[in-house]
Amino acid sequence: MSVQMKSGLWVSGALFLAAFVVWLYQLREGLILTNMVNSYSWGLYISGLAFFVGNAAGGLVLTSSIYLFGVKQIKPLAKLGALTAFANVTAAMLIVLPDIGRPLRLYNLLLHPNFMSPLVWDVLVLNLYALASAVYLYILMLPELTGRLSWLAVKVDNPHDFSEKWARRIAPVALLFAIGIHVVTAWIFSTQGARDWWFTPVMAPDFVSVAIAVGTTVVLLAGALAYGTGKKYEEAYRTLGLIIFIATCVHLFLMMNDLVIHAWYGKAETHTIMAVAWGDFALLHVFEVAAPLIGAGLLLLPSVRRSLPRLALSSALLIAGVFAHRFLLMPAAYNSVPMTITPLGLPNTHWSLPIASGRFTPGMSSFLEQYSYSPSLVEVVILLGIMAYAVFLVLLAISRLPILARERS
Amino acid sequence: MKMGMVIDLEKCIGCRSCMVACKQHNSQPPETWWNRVFTPGSHRHLTPPARGVEYFLPVHCQHCENAPCEKVCPVGATFHAADGAVLIDFERCIGCRYCMSACPYGVRQFNWEDPEKAHQRSEYQEKYQYGYPEDHRHEGRLVYTPLRPRGVVEKCTFCAQYRDKGELPACVRGCPGKARTVGDLDDPDSEVSRLIKARDGFTLLPEKGTKPTVFYLPPKPKEV
Repeated sequence: MSVQMKSGLWVSGALFLAAFVVWLYQLREGLILTNMVNSYSWGLYISGLAFFVGNAAGGLVLTSSIYLFGVKQIKPLAKLGALTAFANVTAAMLIVLPDIGRPLRLYNLLLHPNFMSPLVWDVLVLNLYALASAVYLYILMLPELTGRLSWLAVKVDNPHDFSEKWARRIAPVALLFAIGIHVVTAWIFSTQGARDWWFTPVMAPDFVSVAIAVGTTVVLLAGALAYGTGKKYEEAYRTLGLIIFIATCVHLFLMMNDLVIHAWYGKAETHTIMAVAWGDFALLHVFEVAAPLIGAGLLLLPSVRRSLPRLALSSALLIAGVFAHRFLLMPAAYNSVPMTITPLGLPNTHWSLPIASGRFTPGMSSFLEQYSYSPSLVEVVILLGIMAYAVFLVLLAISRLPILARERS
Repeated sequence: MKMGMVIDLEKCIGCRSCMVACKQHNSQPPETWWNRVFTPGSHRHLTPPARGVEYFLPVHCQHCENAPCEKVCPVGATFHAADGAVLIDFERCIGCRYCMSACPYGVRQFNWEDPEKAHQRSEYQEKYQYGYPEDHRHEGRLVYTPLRPRGVVEKCTFCAQYRDKGELPACVRGCPGKARTVGDLDDPDSEVSRLIKARDGFTLLPEKGTKPTVFYLPPKPKEV
């Protein structure tokens, strides 16, 4: 094991452990340790859910490209795609845990599931996708589970043919779940008629496009870090770069399309949303648009793809931009309280009924008409810890399992 | 039977007695208010936003027939009781706060910490206890408990603990102007049904399609 690999494992493992300890502390004290209030009921954790779900799309892009569109040159990256998908989809499930007020009661999801709830659909499809990714990864690794790993292998006559046959069979099923996780996660938000910012049919297709962009970037980055940026994978990286760019453009189009319609009609709710998106969060909004666009644009350039630092930087820029996009899901929905009415006798006034905050904060009114949220240290540490978990899992798998194609020297 | 409430805005004097009665009887933790009374259009209660425009709006759970909170609850902790009230099972709720996000009226409140700690933080007198003192079960489910468990969502129950004993909700009893009436919306001859018909009763945010069972009677225009 290389020094980088070892230190990577140690750092990510330690961070994950730290987040776990902080979560235990939050379990004892309650969600009072976060900066959420009654009117702002979801924060960084749920942004994290949307972020990790998006990152998990890498497996989807690779399998569909290989088996549906016959793009053979990215086949060496298929296992990395399935692995990053598994790591991110499990991270998505993990980040929900600290957001739950009583996680020990989660068994109620099995005992009393309400099948009307998009959250139940999401739990189902996330688990199915995690399972499908794991099985798919295993099938792909099967021919190489030899020597000290042979105890892991199922006994079949011809592992190579078996792997090829079953990968082809599992791929379409995994694809279905893969699209499902983005669509259903988007539905959690877009079915909420109470929040004008989310209540739009464009959200599910937008989630799919963001996911294809960022999920592919995650695979590209992982591939470049593992294999380097030499001639051998030039073609594969070029294909991925193209997919990333197109998906980013589709995402920005869908987002702008929604904003234009909101802004053009000019309802009072829209003004509130715009004031938040382009007022309070103007810089972050510019970043959520510019960073993915610049990142994806740079990845189109062969010179960028040939240099590991440039490729890594461009990928990081895109991923950071998408993270900003996920964070901005919340403010425009929660900054102003719902229950906005036009008072009788004041036809042109828009007025919101204040909400009790639910927690005592010196200097803050009990009733809030508006609340600006920024995450607490506890929330940040837990989110970073879950990110570290995903990295740890990928590194651990790479160092122990035949994930990477063997170099023939 | 479909429980409903009618609030006569002509009779509401904005005194917030119902808020306090609700808070006390339901032993709500500090900074938690199931029932809110404000002056529409004004950022200061009891201060008219414009000359001649002055009425007050009490808002609590609207006990919607098509309740988004009930639909989104992943574990069915929020449920419709047989009489039409929307209740929360404190033993079932996992605290995901999806319902709080989905409610267009912003009536749902979360227990961010243990009630005892919240009392300390707000500097309540030590061992000060208030509210209905016993646990209460409706249809076998825990819908009221004096000290709320940390990490669950709560809201107006139409005072399930009192109604099951044949008494009226605390806000109805506590209103000095008798602005609130409860009754059966399914019965066309009930007082609530007659009031809604005679006085053009309306609901809040009808465009959200939630079908509230709390109706408001408009105030008469003021002479200035």
